Amino acid sequence: ATCVSGGLPQPTNITFISINMQNILRWNPPAELQGAEVTYTVQYFIYGQKKWLSKPECRNINRTYCDLSVETSDYEHQYYAKVKAMWETNCSRWAETTRFYPFLETQIGPPEVALTTGEKSISITLTAPEKWKRNPEDSTVFMQQIYPNLKYNVSVYNTKSKRMWSQSITNHTLVLSWLEPSTLYCVQVEAFIPGPPRLIQPSHKQCVSTLEDQASALKVR
Amino acid sequence: SLKRCLISVDMRFIEKSFQGIKRELQAKDTFQNVTVLSILESPKNIKPADVCCVTKHLLTFYRDRVFQDHQESSPQIVRKISSIANSFLYMQKTLHQCQEQRWCHCSQEATNATRTVHDNYDQLDVHSAALKSLGELDIFLAWIDKNHQETSA
Amino acid sequence: NGVAVLPAPQNLSVHSTNMKHLLTWSPVILPGEMTFYSVEYQGEYESLYTSHVWIPSSSCSPTNGSECDITDDITATVPYNLRVRTTRDSQTSAWSTLEHPFNRNSTVLMPPRMEVTKDGFHLVLELEDLGPQFEFLVVYWRREPGAKEHAKVVRRGGIPVHLETMDAGAAYCVKAQALVKTIGRHSAFSQAKCVEVQGESLPL
Repeated sequence: ATCVSGGLPQPTNITFISINMQNILRWNPPAELQGAEVTYTVQYFIYGQKKWLSKPECRNINRTYCDLSVETSDYEHQYYAKVKAMWETNCSRWAETTRFYPFLETQIGPPEVALTTGEKSISITLTAPEKWKRNPEDSTVFMQQIYPNLKYNVSVYNTKSKRMWSQSITNHTLVLSWLEPSTLYCVQVEAFIPGPPRLIQPSHKQCVSTLEDQASALKVR
Repeated sequence: SLKRCLISVDMRFIEKSFQGIKRELQAKDTFQNVTVLSILESPKNIKPADVCCVTKHLLTFYRDRVFQDHQESSPQIVRKISSIANSFLYMQKTLHQCQEQRWCHCSQEATNATRTVHDNYDQLDVHSAALKSLGELDIFLAWIDKNHQETSA
Repeated sequence: NGVAVLPAPQNLSVHSTNMKHLLTWSPVILPGEMTFYSVEYQGEYESLYTSHVWIPSSSCSPTNGSECDITDDITATVPYNLRVRTTRDSQTSAWSTLEHPFNRNSTVLMPPRMEVTKDGFHLVLELEDLGPQFEFLVVYWRREPGAKEHAKVVRRGGIPVHLETMDAGAAYCVKAQALVKTIGRHSAFSQAKCVEVQGESLPL
């Protein structure tokens, strides 16, 4: 439908939020139109190609995000996206993103962290973050397959001694041995890739207590 | 291959230097339908054996065309570009030492690959082409990083 | 037009330690108001390909001291030309240029300061944060005759890093050297520091 372009202020803060190659375009409604029945239309552009492309599922929508993961799934290329707001017969000019380079800009989600405790040990098992999948039944690709030099920073905090130390590992298991028994340790892990600065998402801090020292437990009985 | 050559190059610093000026450079590039470094966008385009030679040719491309054709008024951008240009000069010296050890062979395919970059560059007026090529440094640096990964871990 | 009326600074030299580079010169003593200086640099790229281009230093154009931290200007391992001139109002002196170009690969590398501690049986090391250019080769061993040395590269200073899980009743020693890949050099090793693990011998 034709509309009077420029009759509305543009959407603001238009940006790609990318985590593990799931690339979602987000924006804020035009400042003065909070609450109005505004709809939006999105287009995207593959850098170096010839024309802007539409995504039918993101035409005349009233939400303020659009999942462009499929359209931007070739992470070796770069992209632009743009949004315009429409309300009644008026519409805004396009608001455009900066150039988006998934390979360099996607955030690496945290690994899954499983802790099992022993008397004086904690076993840490990591599950690598997975790349976004088009369909749930698609085969899994781990982010490590895209970034072979992906590493993990494991931070360990001894709540009794109030000491923190960290270790950088590349494999997926780490056993902390000869810990103090009956002591609460907190563990946090972040995946990182040596390269241009990139947002990092650490895992949630998990705290577990080592078991009671069996030797002293027997003496007590 | 390149892995042996660029062991002492500070890729992190070069990437950080570019990160500081990337938005400004790319925002001024209005020719979104041209990619100068398109050849680097697909790993299949350049064989591992050609990586060192293509790197050397592209460093020369930036040294002799891009950095010289670009005119910049912002002191901050001038400094960052100078930092990158001098880092590329050091990278070339390092690659040159590789050349002597014959790890940097240049095949016809490598020469053709570089040719496409110059052809893309020549599609635009020289200032627009230089600005675009500077804005595409992230493509070049990511490509070097990928091919240099083993020693940068 | 105020050109070359003021005396130019003399005795330019660069003092560089652990990749921190300081350009110094003899102050120009003039009666009356304060004297300022401007510092400019030119990397090998500029001197070879755009020789007319000199770039104002990021932190000393102008400055009123007789030294300038040029660390953020010297960002590649190539020779850099440096020059300084005196300025006062619209008056300037001639440029004084450093006699020999400066290359950061001549920096003096000092062993890193380090803190060796333990958390129970865990040997923990915190190295001085010398900046992103630095990595560290850490060597540690159990203090006993014929002990085998272990080596580990630590990528960053400033955070406590786990080195080893120690045996009860033993003592462990650590030494470290600073590595700067971008100039292909390393410092001497630091003095070794040791910690002892109390506690009963380990159950079989």
